[in-house]
Amino acid sequence: MKRIMIETEKCKGCKNCAIACMKAHMPDGVPFSLTDTRLEARNVILLDKDKQYRPLFCRHCDNPSCIKSCMSGAMTKDSATGHVYYDPKQCAGCFMCVMSCPFGVLKPDRATKTTVIKCDFCKDHGSEPSCVKQCINQAIHVEEV
Amino acid sequence: MTQRFSCTTCLSADKPLERFVADLPMETSFHRVETQEVKCEFGLQGCCCRLCANGPCRITPDSPKGICGADADTLVARNFLRAVAAGSGCYIHVVENAARALKDIAKEKGALKGLKALDRLCAKLEVSGSDIYEKAEKAADAVLADLYRPVFEKMELTKKLAYAPRYEKWEALGLLPGGAKSEVFAGTVKSSTNLNSDPVDMLLHCLRLGISTGLYGLMMTNMLNDIIQGEPEIRFASVGMRVIDPDYINIMITGHQHALFAHLQNRLTDDDIVKQAQAVGAKGFKLVGCTCVGQDLQLRAAHAVGLFDGHAGNNFTSEAILATGAIDAVLTEFNCTLPGIEPICDALKIKQICLDTIAKKANAQTMQYGFESRESDANSIISDIIEAYKVRRNDVPLNLLPEHGNDNTLTGLSEVTLKSFLGETWQPLIELIATGKIKGLAAVVGCSNLVSGGHDVLTVELTKELIAKDILVLTAGCSSGGIENCGLMTPEAAELAGPSLKAVCQSLGIPPVLNFGPCLAIGRLELIAVEIAEALGVDLPQLPLVLSAPQWLEEQALADGAFALALGLPLHLGLPPFVTGSPIAVQVLCEDMKQLTGGHVMINGDAAESAVLMEEIIMQKRKDLNLA
Amino acid sequence: MKHVIIGAGAAGITAAKTIRERHINDEIVIISTDEAVYSRCMLHHYISGQRSLQALSFVTDDFFKDNNIKWLSNVTVAHIDTKGRQVVLECGGYESYDRLLIATGAQSAFPDIKGLSGTLGVFGLRDLPDARAIAEKAVKAEHVVILGAGLVGMDAAYGLLALGKKPVVVEMAKNILSVNLDSMAAAAYQEQFEQAGASFKLEAKICEVLSDARGAISSVELSDGEQLPCDLLIIATSIRPNVKWLESSGISLERGVVVDKYLTTSAEGVYAAGDVTGISGTWPDAMSQGETAAMNMCGCAVAYSDFIPPMKCTMSFFGIPTLSVGRFIASDGDEVTLRMSKDRYEKVVMRDDIPVGVILQGDISRSGYWQYLIKNQVSTAGIQKPIWKVSFADAYSIESNGEYKWVL
Repeated sequence: MKRIMIETEKCKGCKNCAIACMKAHMPDGVPFSLTDTRLEARNVILLDKDKQYRPLFCRHCDNPSCIKSCMSGAMTKDSATGHVYYDPKQCAGCFMCVMSCPFGVLKPDRATKTTVIKCDFCKDHGSEPSCVKQCINQAIHVEEV
Repeated sequence: MTQRFSCTTCLSADKPLERFVADLPMETSFHRVETQEVKCEFGLQGCCCRLCANGPCRITPDSPKGICGADADTLVARNFLRAVAAGSGCYIHVVENAARALKDIAKEKGALKGLKALDRLCAKLEVSGSDIYEKAEKAADAVLADLYRPVFEKMELTKKLAYAPRYEKWEALGLLPGGAKSEVFAGTVKSSTNLNSDPVDMLLHCLRLGISTGLYGLMMTNMLNDIIQGEPEIRFASVGMRVIDPDYINIMITGHQHALFAHLQNRLTDDDIVKQAQAVGAKGFKLVGCTCVGQDLQLRAAHAVGLFDGHAGNNFTSEAILATGAIDAVLTEFNCTLPGIEPICDALKIKQICLDTIAKKANAQTMQYGFESRESDANSIISDIIEAYKVRRNDVPLNLLPEHGNDNTLTGLSEVTLKSFLGETWQPLIELIATGKIKGLAAVVGCSNLVSGGHDVLTVELTKELIAKDILVLTAGCSSGGIENCGLMTPEAAELAGPSLKAVCQSLGIPPVLNFGPCLAIGRLELIAVEIAEALGVDLPQLPLVLSAPQWLEEQALADGAFALALGLPLHLGLPPFVTGSPIAVQVLCEDMKQLTGGHVMINGDAAESAVLMEEIIMQKRKDLNLA
Repeated sequence: MKHVIIGAGAAGITAAKTIRERHINDEIVIISTDEAVYSRCMLHHYISGQRSLQALSFVTDDFFKDNNIKWLSNVTVAHIDTKGRQVVLECGGYESYDRLLIATGAQSAFPDIKGLSGTLGVFGLRDLPDARAIAEKAVKAEHVVILGAGLVGMDAAYGLLALGKKPVVVEMAKNILSVNLDSMAAAAYQEQFEQAGASFKLEAKICEVLSDARGAISSVELSDGEQLPCDLLIIATSIRPNVKWLESSGISLERGVVVDKYLTTSAEGVYAAGDVTGISGTWPDAMSQGETAAMNMCGCAVAYSDFIPPMKCTMSFFGIPTLSVGRFIASDGDEVTLRMSKDRYEKVVMRDDIPVGVILQGDISRSGYWQYLIKNQVSTAGIQKPIWKVSFADAYSIESNGEYKWVL
């Protein structure tokens, strides 16, 4: 499967990845805006105790805790791509996946708190992650693992 | 079981304030620190350029130049010069308004409260006149004439205001500034798209802006305000949010232009106005100090008896002060007026009035200060505030913090009052330094920010470290407001000083940290340094004196910093001023500057380490002066 | 190899999926009393009419076909012949097995209340027939009483509020959701439920159920003597593992089916997973046990490690999400850190620098690391920052295949 590989030491915290992700996942009819709460990035850059940038991107784990906690069948691992996809229509908004991701990647959507914000590897954009394209530091790249 | 309350708010050196803000039902700057925690490295290092449509260009190892070809050094220097020019412009605006106010008052033969200050200024500027009004007008004219000169005409007063050895140095380096406003203009043009690309030239321009900022924006503003509003007087005062008395109609003032308050300040204690306040159930009017103009009023509070309640806090205390519910109006005339106060004012029905359109606030009423309309403006402001008081006081609950601050902060220090306290001579202070009872002087100046460990955290910790090393600390700026609320300007704080500084403080009954008030008072500190240097027959860089702006915040602080470098002083900063992406800028500011002016920048965010660095410099300078 | 799985819930379905992933040719049979595959956690959405039966499914429409699984739905197992390795069906007939998984879940347990037994209009909320019966009864019901303000009871109340009912919830504890939340977090929900039309009788019990001449429930009497009119009573107090039918099988039983760490029962080739074991009652645990049992059924020895998991749950009512993990009530020697703002309430209980319990209410964004910290008893002593700022970033490590790994 393809995975977004992270070289943390190259990250400069510019958040281009977050903006790229927001732009790649805009709800229908919502124009891009840095202040519209309906637009959300699936990724985030955290700081560790030494103030080092720690980019948090869904790993599409080999053994995904989110799927193993999903009671609605909304989270599934695609057998062809290996990516973990989320179906908001099937989701019942119980957020057990949010609790179960040991890395804290998942979150409820900010605007309605009924669905989950989850990386889809930009499957609607040719499965070429927008964040990777927009990282000017080459801190993230896609690799077959 | 121990139970701690913590919240999304950032830390403060001022613990009662920290708890108060954490418990507030509204959002403040303290709350927003967390959501802005991850900073972009390009911005931090000054390596992002938005000067043209090809941008933003950012410097990385794979893209070492912007599309135009500018490298990191050019990008950083341009960004830095823009910031220093803007900061200088702020101070020059302030001194321009102060000079215009003095001129207007003089022409009308209005009240001048500081006649000794007038004499001193006229002597310095070699201005004479048949009466005080003519002298004042001529002094103001001389200042304005300099400010308005073109960039190719050197300002005439520079030589009169500057310490002679410094003036010679600046002249030799080609740093003497042309007209102060024109220098800002030139700095802005120079740093525009595809103009100057020479990082060293731009950094030297910053020094020129530093000189005009320091001598005019800082030093001259104090002199003019002292004439208009009266001179500082040493006294003990209450500070912190305890000063707020809900029985009065309370007006919080923020900004930097004390001159603009002259008429209103006098009017608020007039009998007819007090009666109007009493008619709506208040005992009268009070001004509550906040930010630098509050510090200015604190220095000169002897001239506002019964009106000024005291200084409540610095820039990032303003939201909390308003949240007490006891403030009925905010009068703003300049910066350090956070946009964050606006929703709080709306929520608590606090009337906002801007006295200067330069600092126009989105939801505030504008009442541009004008000398001719001062009478009617003051009446209209007062009646608006009374209206606000009537509406809000029945409605908005109080959330006071009477335990905040203290009642015995020493204030009113200036180049004049300190010398007078010492017996009209600097000799006692020089003796203390010479004998090593005081190792040296550290000026802890500038703002507060929220990212150097939290609100006032580095400032207060550094100050404690310095006094513990027997270094006397002098303050100017929002650092004063933070340090005083933490109690370090009370005589009791002598306990925190090293043994010999403690003994000095106890014998004189003074605190180990001397409060000179607003950032403008950096100009007063420079005068003290000059007078001590003169007495010793040395240049400023030789003095056992270090400067720190541990929590610098604004572009103005960068212009102040440029002044410090022009004076040849070692300058400590807690955070780098967005220049670390340029090897040349770092080399010039931190190293080469030593050969140019004698000053240099050092960056360190750790209080203990910074204090050691500053002490080492002081000890080296003592050694060079053959002091034990 | 032939695998028979009894039960089509979280454990059974996960086990079938796991076996199929590992052994493409093994025979798999699922036998379920349930007529459909559905998530019992969503039954309240069925009551409210927000989801059809089909939308309650947690597998794809073609799950059985795609995975080549034989599914005997609507079929109840009468008996297990462990010696003959066959499952005897109630309808007659049998299924032989090489490996058998018992994943029959749990059922509602009704408390011993005078007049309760046999009265019409009283339901649990555990399976589809319960939900159907409640939905049908609710059409005309005017006085709904729910006994038990745990997650099931509150889910039921939430579903009924959506139908315009005004349920009265009777609860023994001082606050609602007392197993999952402290009083502060519970109060936020209680207020919302009350605003929506529900009412609560806390620190109360039903001591008698009264019925009319036709044997239908007419009212309930509380321990303080108050009588509540009632034409629909939902009992949501507790559950018990579904093991009664196994009593004659010779398989060791206690409260649930007794299993070792490989989830093997006392009978050879027979495994158990999910609520029927009585180990814990959450969906993720059932899935995890189903997966572990399946691995062992496939001959790969995998030990289940989570026999005493910390309490953990998420919930979301009225747009307020909450996460609660571990022991959120502090005792002597604990350190409690609270953080409160307009729309948020957060609480961490620490013991010797180890987080032992957390409640996050209002915003649970990116909070999954809390369960990791608590479950693994991770000490945060070496991390010099406020507990709120501790996260996976402080234990951040990336493996060669790009996966994250906790390193502290």
